[in-house]
Amino acid sequence: MKQHRIIGLLGLLLVFVLIVSGCAIGHASATATAPREKIVFWHEMTGPAADQLKKFATQFNASQKKYQIVPEFEGTYNEAVQKILQTHGTSASPAIFQSMDVSTSELYHAKVATPMQHFIDKDHYNMNQIAAVPRAFYSQGGKQISMPFNTSQPVLYYNTSLLKRLGIKAPAKDPSYSDITAVAKQIQAKSKGKVNGMTVEEYGWLFEQFMANSNEHMANNENGRQGVPTAVNFDQPGAKKAMQWIQTNVKNKDIINFGSGSTAETNEMAAFLAGKLGIFMQSSADIGNLTSGMKDKLGICYFPHADGQKANGVSIGGASLWIGNDKSKSVQQGAWEFAKFLVNAKNQAIWEKITGYMAINKQAAKEPILKNLFAKQPMVAVPGEQLARTKPNTANSGIFMEDVVQERTLTQTAMQQVYNNGNIGKALKTATDSMNAAIKNNNKASGLTK
Amino acid sequence: MLQRLPKQVDNSLPSLNLAAKYKLTDSGYAIVFLGPTLMLLVAFVFYPMLKTLYMSFFLTNDFGKTTAFVGLSNYVSLITSSSYLSSLGATLVFVLAVSILTVVLGVALAVTANQELKGIRLFRTLFSATMGVSVSVAAIFWLFAFNPSVGVFAQLSQALHLPVVNWLTDPKSAMVAIIISTVWMNLGFTFLIIFGALQSVPKSLYEAADIVGISKLTQLFKVTIPMISGTLFFVMIVTLIEAFKSFGLIDMMTEGGPDNATNLLVYRIYQDAFINGNFAQGSTESILLTIIIAIFTLIQFKFLGKRVHY
Repeated sequence: MKQHRIIGLLGLLLVFVLIVSGCAIGHASATATAPREKIVFWHEMTGPAADQLKKFATQFNASQKKYQIVPEFEGTYNEAVQKILQTHGTSASPAIFQSMDVSTSELYHAKVATPMQHFIDKDHYNMNQIAAVPRAFYSQGGKQISMPFNTSQPVLYYNTSLLKRLGIKAPAKDPSYSDITAVAKQIQAKSKGKVNGMTVEEYGWLFEQFMANSNEHMANNENGRQGVPTAVNFDQPGAKKAMQWIQTNVKNKDIINFGSGSTAETNEMAAFLAGKLGIFMQSSADIGNLTSGMKDKLGICYFPHADGQKANGVSIGGASLWIGNDKSKSVQQGAWEFAKFLVNAKNQAIWEKITGYMAINKQAAKEPILKNLFAKQPMVAVPGEQLARTKPNTANSGIFMEDVVQERTLTQTAMQQVYNNGNIGKALKTATDSMNAAIKNNNKASGLTK
Repeated sequence: MLQRLPKQVDNSLPSLNLAAKYKLTDSGYAIVFLGPTLMLLVAFVFYPMLKTLYMSFFLTNDFGKTTAFVGLSNYVSLITSSSYLSSLGATLVFVLAVSILTVVLGVALAVTANQELKGIRLFRTLFSATMGVSVSVAAIFWLFAFNPSVGVFAQLSQALHLPVVNWLTDPKSAMVAIIISTVWMNLGFTFLIIFGALQSVPKSLYEAADIVGISKLTQLFKVTIPMISGTLFFVMIVTLIEAFKSFGLIDMMTEGGPDNATNLLVYRIYQDAFINGNFAQGSTESILLTIIIAIFTLIQFKFLGKRVHY
């Protein structure tokens, strides 16, 4: 009995040793033939965009022998920012990562990344091929901090077929507030109340865009482009005009309120696809979902501007690519090669077609993929045209401030008060005061101001 | 504490029995048996608690590291901030409404299900069914129910020619919607516990009451409730604490909105610490919440505990 057991144990041990040595040999031979540098890439994309990113990584890996890109999904934008900050300097940190627009100032001041300008200069990379607004958004003091990547702009979507059925003229390509109101009113009236005119989500990002398009700086020091912002002011004429426009429309039932957050986005999309909603304001990144899910013909026009005022142009949303400064030189070089690969003209054209994010490479429009797409669906080109005609200035290049996330929550709350018939001036003033208190604390905590 | 026994104890046979080999004193036993638990508690409960308290006296930077000592200023600015106070008010309304409704409805369901009728087992199962529903499933279910265009409530009010309530975007109705769904979620557990207690009330008490000719309603208040008061007390404390900690339904249904109407204290902590990245403020809010829950539990022990018949 006992002997059997010992023999059995010895047998097991032998098998174990064989497996371990086998692995070791296998491992050794693998590394000997392919001494690739592992480049971990963190992203926050889901659905078709995530699949496409994986494809890009595979193609990049096949295109050269030096680097191995390993894409890893890290949850939502907000979660990823915390993970990037908390893992920095450890072996768990990524070599290259995608981080959302509003985290730009925070990551810059946290000094977790090697500025993109460093690689651009070293490589003599031509940044002029990248669209001007996203380039300005992700730079500071004339230096590129991160590489623009998935980029969207807010636009107005309308249901062309529905308007035709009701005998309503489509809105102008560059509409004013009252142009849109007029269309919404007609939809409501001619459908006998069966179709809602329009909706504008209670969303801090859209609030920022109203101010940008009115050429107003939300934060002082020119939205933080001339120095660390020490205060914000939401209570400005342009912002007020936009809120007044919305409130009047809500009162007249020309705007239906779907609320805020993902629930609102799902509900407005469902209503629009079902032909129960005429117009809605949202990110251009929705184009993919809209063109694939809609039986009716889709229409797109620019973000509206105040009456009798020229549009200053809106800013962008989305995220950019950063190269961590806690990895070896060769890993960083590999990360840079991959970043260049992602924003080249051909890949940006594919990216726009698959995801609805705009191609940020100016040459992408010449690629056959996009040419065919625009020929078949001309409205898909509208967001790109809006981006191209915008001359970047400090009002429409985003707010370079830490705590933009908090600013969005506060302006969203102010919007909720406005939609529920609250006093506009008071709502904006309250949000301004709360934000200024937060800025003061945060600047002190981060050592940005004394 | 560990004392080797003198050698003369039988050493001809090697013994694996530690207790025989080493003589343990009482405190030695305590350490051996409680030590592992204590270590776990220290690592995962006491250390984080103290760290939270520590962080609440500082400002924190992007990495969540403490930078500037500010004393009690985090507390002062919170207590004087109107938005925190409105969160506190909303939480109190929510907690009271949820715990009262859950217990009252739980008793009502349990008393009904306690009747010996044909097919009553089916209802007993149904009433406790929400225990098996996860928060995310419940949230999706209620989101559909409250949807202004396709929801059950909207269709009901359309059929009755009543105005459609936009449940989750109006600050007043959003709170009602969250209360309804939370009560529904909690009801299964409350029902099951109270029902168990009812089953253990001796039948003879009711027989005696019937002989004396006491009405069923009086029996409920004079016999049933006093007999299950211990369980009711337990259920009340548990639902109250659970209500204070509500998070999942709020996160998935309203995200604290609209206009902060459902931004309850726990959700606020999450938002401030993990969305806004302000860990110091999140810590301060956690400490305040701990104090508030402790006060409530104390009050309950003081006033309700006396009325309990064990």
